[in-house]
Amino acid sequence: MTINRREFIKANAIAAAAAVAGISVPVSASNLITSSELTKLKWDKAPCRFCGTGCGVNVGVMDGKIVATHGDIKSPVNKGLNCVKGYFLSKIMYGKDRLTTPLLRMTNGQYNKNGDFTSVSWEKAFDVMEEKAKTTLNEKGPTAVGMFGSGQWTVQEGYAAVKLMKAGFRTNNIDPNARHCMASAVGGFMRTFGIDEPMGCYDDIEATDAMVLWGSNMAEMHPILWTRVTDRRLSAPHVKVAVLSTFKHRSFDLADNSMIFTPQTDLAILNFIAHYIISTGRVNQDFVKKHTNFRLGETDIGYGLRPEHPLEQNAKNNGKTAGDSVPIKFEEYAKFVSTYTVEYASKLSGVPESNLIALAELYADPKTKVISFWTMGFNQHTRGVWANNLVYNIHLLTGKISTPGNSPFSLTGQPSACGTAREVGTFSHRLPADLVVANPKHRAIAEKIWQLPEGTVPSEHGYHAVEQNRKLKDGELNFYWVQCNNNMQAAANIMEEALPGYRNPKNFIVVSDPYPTVTAQAADLILPTAMWVEKEGVYGNAERRTQAWHQMVKAPEGAKSDLWQLVEFSKRFKVEEVWPEELIAKQPSVRGKSLFEILYKNDSVAKFSLDEISEDQLNDEAREFGFYIQKGLFEEYATFGRGHGHDLAPYDMYHKERGLRWPVVNGKETLWRYKEGSDPYAKKGSGWDFYGKPDGRAVIFALPYEPAAEEPDEEYDLWLSTGRVLEHWHSGSMTQRVPELYKAMPDALVYMHPDDAKSRNMRRGDLVKLVSRRGEVQTRVETRGRNKPPKGLVFMPWFDASRLVNKVTLDATDPLSKQTDYKKCAIKIVKV
Amino acid sequence: MQSVILRKVIKLVSSALIASGILFSYTVTCAENEVATLRDAAKIAEQKEPNIIPKVINKDIKQGRNYPMQPPVIPHTIRSYEVNKYNNKCMSCHSRQLTEESQAPMVSVTHYMNRDGNFLAEISPRRYFCNQCHVTQQDAKPLVVNTFIDMHSLMKQKTAKDNQE
Amino acid sequence: MKKLLKVGWDTLSSPSGYYSLGFLVLGGFIAGIIFWGGFNTALEVTNTEEFCISCHEMENNVYEELKTTIHFTNRSGVRATCPDCHVPHKWTDKIARKMQASKEVWAKFWGTINTREKFQAHRRELAEHEWARLKANDSLECRNCHNFDYMDFTEQSQRAATQHSGALANGDKTCIDCHKGIAHQLPDMKGVEGW
Repeated sequence: MTINRREFIKANAIAAAAAVAGISVPVSASNLITSSELTKLKWDKAPCRFCGTGCGVNVGVMDGKIVATHGDIKSPVNKGLNCVKGYFLSKIMYGKDRLTTPLLRMTNGQYNKNGDFTSVSWEKAFDVMEEKAKTTLNEKGPTAVGMFGSGQWTVQEGYAAVKLMKAGFRTNNIDPNARHCMASAVGGFMRTFGIDEPMGCYDDIEATDAMVLWGSNMAEMHPILWTRVTDRRLSAPHVKVAVLSTFKHRSFDLADNSMIFTPQTDLAILNFIAHYIISTGRVNQDFVKKHTNFRLGETDIGYGLRPEHPLEQNAKNNGKTAGDSVPIKFEEYAKFVSTYTVEYASKLSGVPESNLIALAELYADPKTKVISFWTMGFNQHTRGVWANNLVYNIHLLTGKISTPGNSPFSLTGQPSACGTAREVGTFSHRLPADLVVANPKHRAIAEKIWQLPEGTVPSEHGYHAVEQNRKLKDGELNFYWVQCNNNMQAAANIMEEALPGYRNPKNFIVVSDPYPTVTAQAADLILPTAMWVEKEGVYGNAERRTQAWHQMVKAPEGAKSDLWQLVEFSKRFKVEEVWPEELIAKQPSVRGKSLFEILYKNDSVAKFSLDEISEDQLNDEAREFGFYIQKGLFEEYATFGRGHGHDLAPYDMYHKERGLRWPVVNGKETLWRYKEGSDPYAKKGSGWDFYGKPDGRAVIFALPYEPAAEEPDEEYDLWLSTGRVLEHWHSGSMTQRVPELYKAMPDALVYMHPDDAKSRNMRRGDLVKLVSRRGEVQTRVETRGRNKPPKGLVFMPWFDASRLVNKVTLDATDPLSKQTDYKKCAIKIVKV
Repeated sequence: MQSVILRKVIKLVSSALIASGILFSYTVTCAENEVATLRDAAKIAEQKEPNIIPKVINKDIKQGRNYPMQPPVIPHTIRSYEVNKYNNKCMSCHSRQLTEESQAPMVSVTHYMNRDGNFLAEISPRRYFCNQCHVTQQDAKPLVVNTFIDMHSLMKQKTAKDNQE
Repeated sequence: MKKLLKVGWDTLSSPSGYYSLGFLVLGGFIAGIIFWGGFNTALEVTNTEEFCISCHEMENNVYEELKTTIHFTNRSGVRATCPDCHVPHKWTDKIARKMQASKEVWAKFWGTINTREKFQAHRRELAEHEWARLKANDSLECRNCHNFDYMDFTEQSQRAATQHSGALANGDKTCIDCHKGIAHQLPDMKGVEGW
């Protein structure tokens, strides 16, 4: 053989590729284009469209098309790296089935709930929507109108939606899909610190000695943060990584201490660590005395199921007081956790004692700086708020908080779960900047900023995400608008709640989405929607970093952004049609005006003119409405937080910077909150100042282990955990349309232990049914995939639109946060 | 079956032009299940039989990149290839000093840079887990066509147009 | 006690006064067969996978890892059990390996690798024993099934065919040089040639 190996492989490859393409390769094919005019790409920055890490991305545009994307070298978050999804952002907008016309269910030219989807004009679509909304408001009032939003909305979209719902339609029935992902984290923050979001930042990673992953599979879910964790672990040999999960996954590849625990027993492990810190005499007495209080929380709080469910009937404290607590002394707390000995924690969790002690030592050793990371393992948990409280306990007992490398860090799953859902407060009980609707002072602040009469914002909590589906089914929520999420795929217990809810003849369901998702399939009206850099916006990531981007390309003809849809729809309502006369009488200047004029085209939101947008800068919404609407909404929203610990910089600054971490005071971002010296809000001489609480003290909670809502039994003999995979983001509506990502992970399989398969006479590839008390889903068995469950537990991801695992899951929620537990229910697996 | 539905959806898409009043008026309708482009056109309460698990493409033939910065996909199986804190199987062929023997492509020079852009003797720890960016491809047919246009196709279209004029 | 031992020894050492020579030879022969059979049976029992994984150290570590690999599950269902790779087939080698194994009994007794962490800490040393053994015998246990003479390179992937028709064919490399960690996880490979 005279030809060398390399040439052989190359020649082979070209011939094979040519054969595939059905062409012959010309002898010399010069394809080099040297004209700089022709090869020039227009680059601009944007945050990534996917997870909550908030990587910076450079987007390359040519002839109005995105032709390339790569990690932004200047972004402090990712310094030039992206994960495999991020590298394929260029293709997410170009699925051939992009929606470009509203689709209404019709029969013979008329809307019909059971009709076929028919293309209609935007005019016609809004006509029907308007009629349905007005009928509902007239007949049943504001509580029958609702909206389901998103942690993927831009800040401006979320803010516009809150105004439209809470002030315009005067209903608090607006909740984001972030309820499924972050609500328990919020509950934990509010309960322990009185103010939402992490105190630390990603810089903690480079400063720490130990990192503990509580259930989180960062290697797949937060890949770029994982590169920073890996960088730290491999660059500094003394650094330890501990990984806890209910099944073995890719993050275990870096683990120094690997722990598989029985679902729900994380609560016991957390209490054991507290007990270990106390019993080995390593409580940071000075810190605890000065900066903490101890409280005993209410227990037996139920499982957030429908009230008639036996579990709710049996629970002692499942009413409105479930979050109550009473003050206790340190000694009482110490006694409370003393039952969580290593023997007990080990027996309950199945984790060997030596591993538990090694883990506890990372927290207890005063010389070790430690970060705790968690996401859905803690949050999607019927005791999710408790789990959050308990992890803060062990950081507070040791004073390992708010200093570089010492950080309890709640990660987020969506690009703006923090920025939009939480900071803007698109929840059924919230208002911007941690204000809540139940507090009359908070409502007054909102009404003042919005220049609305007192009493505009209703005081009653609206329906939260899970409740919305229940109320749809019960026929009490009748006009429902879903934007920027895919809840028919994402919500638990589809067959018993979501699907009958959407298809209830009493209801009219509108779904705005770029693509025909499962949720769109269940809708009555589908609105084609612009996405990502087809519009201007702001996202906020998990480390409080607010990032802005410009519109870079035009949306496909016919598709409109969520912002445009919300604002344009508001034009169709005269205030007299939606507000009672006594409210209008309080502020007669609103008389005769439309909601558009009252909420958006006013001297606050509309005060920035189009002159501020350079001529070659795309901005379809601003030009259509006649003012710089994104800036106006942002600046008005920012007034909620400025001077109150949530300070945002001027809007224009975000277009120049690679994001800034709030509070931004005097142009300076804040890396570690609550610590004197790094947080401008921490009082001089305090050392630490947990100013979210009136007395500046964080709370250490005594909370027990309580069992899961549903555990395996004789018939339903396996735990089912659901979750994500690296290649697909959430419900896969973007990533499943990128061929490379689809082919990397085409279908959702059920990952099970080879012995569990064998004992059921199954093998890899077998067609099986996952059956629960609520529904069933078919898929195929994987016994040697990247996820390796222990015996007795199976894992199935939820990205796959054709294999809806949420037909099986249980809609049990944390009674405090109302967040669903997607990690635990009982199923059986049978061969098909 | 699938392509019929896709065509129908695409027809729906093109009917946007009517909505914007550009073309003569005609409407397109399709049944509920037919908008389910990722769901084998199944109704939500129903499910089509899941496909078999596809095989990983193992032909060692490089696949073109959509743009220069795209991480190349892996053209071979990686079953039982360990990448963990103890060892990195990928680098036993793709690291600089071993490519002569293996004839595998060397990982890009960027992979030797640390967070600050300085070069290291070995692969940068931040790039250590190859599988965060590089994935294998399974022998599965994408459910939906992607209309992304390569920058070179765009440039060629332009040159062709310029030459005509 | 001493007396008892002495009586026993005297009995054994003095010639038989009761049995015929023929009986003794025949009896000895039969006893030999029984003893030999028993020895071999015992040897074979220790040569089964069930025996190997009766220790949790084996079951929870190496056997658990084996389950997902191609040597456990593959298209034709031919699978390798522990002794196929780890016990030589030739009798003398087998006995030598078994004598080595007595050390392992000792380790079991002392709990040298009775936790995952301890096992991981010893993994490099244990792996090196196996690599050295397989290197020395030219990967004999691999070749018991994977016979070079009968490999069809056209059925292999391009990369595999190139390596097998080159380095393996000319004897530069033996199986274990490249195929480390194919049935179990690898130890820390720092400093291992080719890694």
